[in-house]
Amino acid sequence: MNPEPSLQLDRVIHEKGRLAIMSMLAASPELSFTELRDALAMTDGNLTTHIKALQQEGYLAVAKSFKDRRPLTTCSLTAPGRKAFAEYINLLEQIVRQNKSK
Amino acid sequence: MNPNWAEENLQTIRTLMERSAVYRRALAPIMLFAGVLGAAAASAGLLFHLDSIRAFGSLWLSTAVMVVLGALLIARRQALKDNEGFWSPPTRRVGQALLPPLFSGMLLGFTLMFVGMDNTILLTFIWLLFYGCALHSAGFFMPRGMKWFGWLYIGLALVTICLLTVVVPPDFEINAHWFMGFFFGVLHLAYGAYLYLTEKRKSAA
Repeated sequence: MNPEPSLQLDRVIHEKGRLAIMSMLAASPELSFTELRDALAMTDGNLTTHIKALQQEGYLAVAKSFKDRRPLTTCSLTAPGRKAFAEYINLLEQIVRQNKSK
Repeated sequence: MNPNWAEENLQTIRTLMERSAVYRRALAPIMLFAGVLGAAAASAGLLFHLDSIRAFGSLWLSTAVMVVLGALLIARRQALKDNEGFWSPPTRRVGQALLPPLFSGMLLGFTLMFVGMDNTILLTFIWLLFYGCALHSAGFFMPRGMKWFGWLYIGLALVTICLLTVVVPPDFEINAHWFMGFFFGVLHLAYGAYLYLTEKRKSAA
């Protein structure tokens, strides 16, 4: 196992757009596609790409339903997604502590 | 690479998590607002001797309605200020968590008022326990402190009931407005002040 925390960071989460999506969803049980897009000021295409990447990794679940006869896409973190996010935060905190002790 | 990148990432994560929940930032002013109204209601109750169960219940139920309406207005103003949606999924979850215990407490209060149970102290502690449960439920969607705040209400209410039953002599009389003033006035003010101070410390760091 690599002892250097920065090299252990999850490369899927460690990307600006995907980290933002994970952060928003970590504070909320679920958010709609529109809410995520508006809050993060992303284009539909960009958000879809990031969501697919997180979904492929098993970190994010997407549910499609209808609200007021309109399609509604909602995203939520899966249990492995929450675990990976918590580990990512732990590693960041370790790095901050290491930087401060230097 | 910027040597502080990890710290900046953590700050970004914190900001984004807070952005998805507008009520968090509105929590300190809401707590202070509830505390001020709670203290004012207790003072009014003591000053005007609103001691019958109906007068007591009416005063505190109308105060509760004012607190709820005020809290919604404060959260909405915060959302408008930050150009964010007010009735977002996180806010909805908090509302859903608060509703059953608050509604049950209110309904039970009405029932006890109108069946003529003349015990304002008992009514006070029933409300405190329901309120503590409501805060604890909401705490699952809010910062960790909220769960502890809920436990504080539940614990203090139970300890006070035990003390009143076991230790205090039966002929000793204490006005229930004092308890309401302490629990719904002082405790809210203290938690609001704590939130303000810790928030300022975080911003300064």
